Amino acid sequence: MELVNIFIRSIFIDNMIFAYFLGMCSYLAVSKTVKTSAGMGAAVIFVLSITVPINYLLNEYVLKPGALSWLNPAYGVGSKDEIDLSFLSFIMFIAVIASMVQLVEMVVEKFAPALYNALGIFLPLIAVNCAILGGSLFMQQKDFSNIAESFSFGLGSGIGWFLAIVAIAAIREKITYSNVPEPLKGLGITFIITGLMAIGFMSFSGITL
Amino acid sequence: MAEEKEPLFSKKNRALLSDPLNDNNPITVQVLGICSALAITVQLKPAVVMAIAVLFVVCASNVTVSLLRNLIPSRIRIIVQLLIVASLVIIVDQVLKAYAYDVSKELSVFVGLIITNCIVMGRLEAFALGNGPWRAFLDGIGNAAGYGFILILVAFFRELLGSGKLFGEEVLGHKGKHMPIDAVGLDEAAAQLLDMSTGLYALGYQNNGFMLLSPMALITVGIIIWAQRYKNRKLIEK
Amino acid sequence: MDRNSNSYTFLFAIIMVVVIASILAFLATALKPMQDANVRNEKMQNILSTIGVKVDRDHAEADYKKYIKEYSLKKDGSIDKEVKAFNIDLKKEIKKDPEVQRYPIYIAEKDGKKYYIVPLFGKGLWDDIWGYIALQGDRNTIVGAVFDHKGETPGLGAEIATDVFQNQFIGKQILKEPNGDYTTNNFVSVKTVKGGAPMGDKHGVDGISGGTITSDKLSEMVAERLEHYLPYFKQY
Repeated sequence: MELVNIFIRSIFIDNMIFAYFLGMCSYLAVSKTVKTSAGMGAAVIFVLSITVPINYLLNEYVLKPGALSWLNPAYGVGSKDEIDLSFLSFIMFIAVIASMVQLVEMVVEKFAPALYNALGIFLPLIAVNCAILGGSLFMQQKDFSNIAESFSFGLGSGIGWFLAIVAIAAIREKITYSNVPEPLKGLGITFIITGLMAIGFMSFSGITL
Repeated sequence: MAEEKEPLFSKKNRALLSDPLNDNNPITVQVLGICSALAITVQLKPAVVMAIAVLFVVCASNVTVSLLRNLIPSRIRIIVQLLIVASLVIIVDQVLKAYAYDVSKELSVFVGLIITNCIVMGRLEAFALGNGPWRAFLDGIGNAAGYGFILILVAFFRELLGSGKLFGEEVLGHKGKHMPIDAVGLDEAAAQLLDMSTGLYALGYQNNGFMLLSPMALITVGIIIWAQRYKNRKLIEK
Repeated sequence: MDRNSNSYTFLFAIIMVVVIASILAFLATALKPMQDANVRNEKMQNILSTIGVKVDRDHAEADYKKYIKEYSLKKDGSIDKEVKAFNIDLKKEIKKDPEVQRYPIYIAEKDGKKYYIVPLFGKGLWDDIWGYIALQGDRNTIVGAVFDHKGETPGLGAEIATDVFQNQFIGKQILKEPNGDYTTNNFVSVKTVKGGAPMGDKHGVDGISGGTITSDKLSEMVAERLEHYLPYFKQY
């Protein structure tokens, strides 16, 4: 039940784009057509649902205070030699993410060259997509109790991001036929539409299952 | 090298500082670095701290990468850049936690997200790898200032319209307690509790609580972009 | 040396990692005592502020030692001397079975009066909320409360951390009849009321407009936590 709750919450309520503005750079840059944005969204789902659980294990067994107690009980919480490596978490998380992205890039290039061409330079940029690192940092902050919960959070966040980018891409495809004031064209109107969509998503807040 | 004979603040170098403030603003024109920023624009104080933290990280990483630019093996340059940025951010985070604990609580995970602030990586790739440390430093200041400027502008409007405050100080007058209609027969002690509104609130002004919610950050940026492009028409997208 | 050769790349990576790791490890070790002190002192400062002792964070420890004694309680209200109350992490403790949980209580003596301070912890709308609530010697009337939160909406739910909201709790009562009956039947706690509590309501405070869910969760947290201390309060 908790798993479903986390999953639904991370898609609709704690939506990466609408609630935290994470991953906005690629969100704005890749959302011109539905097709590419769906590819980008899928890549984000994939990377998030891999990196969040991996970083969860890393946090649980290496980084957090006393996490190394499986090596030697003397390193546990409260004992004299307690080891706290949590100051390294930024570096460790980003290293895991960068290598996972590299892997995804190679897989996509090998098995889906068309998609690879469409995504162009944006795939390497996933490494510096705030949504990915944000996923891991929120995971650390939320202190999930097991790996399944962290996976559910990663997957849900990814799907939430996917929904957001596909929806905005669909709107942007239509809006090229509308008469938008000149200075507002492109970026400006995209921001405002995203704001309006976020208002819609706010109606989900407070839902618990 | 020719560039080292230039005066420190030649015209070209000054442009490095001033361009990102308007024509080449990282947020409103290059669309970089919005991610980690907007969530902390509800109040001015965290926005200013965030701007300073980004200024430090962009400048320091720009200079470091620029100094190392002839040493970094090109095959692993992205990961090396990430490593440098991540360590600088850890330094900022640790120092904030030790010396400015309250602020670090407010920024929470968003300090960490400076690592993936596209401005930082963007400037490293586009500028620091090909330029000397001094120019990289100026470029860092310019871009971080352009970023900070928008951040603070958004935070200014959101805090002012949303809660009637600036830096936590009430600037539009004090909003007293709402007086219910059936409160007429109150005893004196209770009536004193209902302190009256002053300033704009006395005229019936209300805070727009909506400005505090996340969607309004996006809409505010949208409007800033609109205003900027209205003034500076060459930025209009076709 | 050739910049693109494998050996150069490896050498560069190794030097880089060693240099960065040592800088960071040094910095983290050097700053850790100050960071821990900040967290401890803030907790002490919060506890003190509920009984009206305003100190800045750096001087919280001296005043804390002067005023506060801490105890851990078992479920039946007896004191467990084995557990140091200040070190109990409510966030972890609260997940345990109520039978084996230890309930920390801070007892303050100021100007000859006794106060009972109960730490609170619960879930808000987005994330954790916590706080402290101080009761007078009658273990019924509230003399002060502080609340804090991790991620409530700024300007809405986050208003629970403001003085305006917290001061409303002063003078409110947690028992239906102030007759020393500490059974659950007589326990009503203090609730936030959407749209504002009526004048003279002893058990209600104004909820936060636009922050109803956070306010409700806060009421839940106060009631849930205080209820565990009734067996202890009954003993006097």
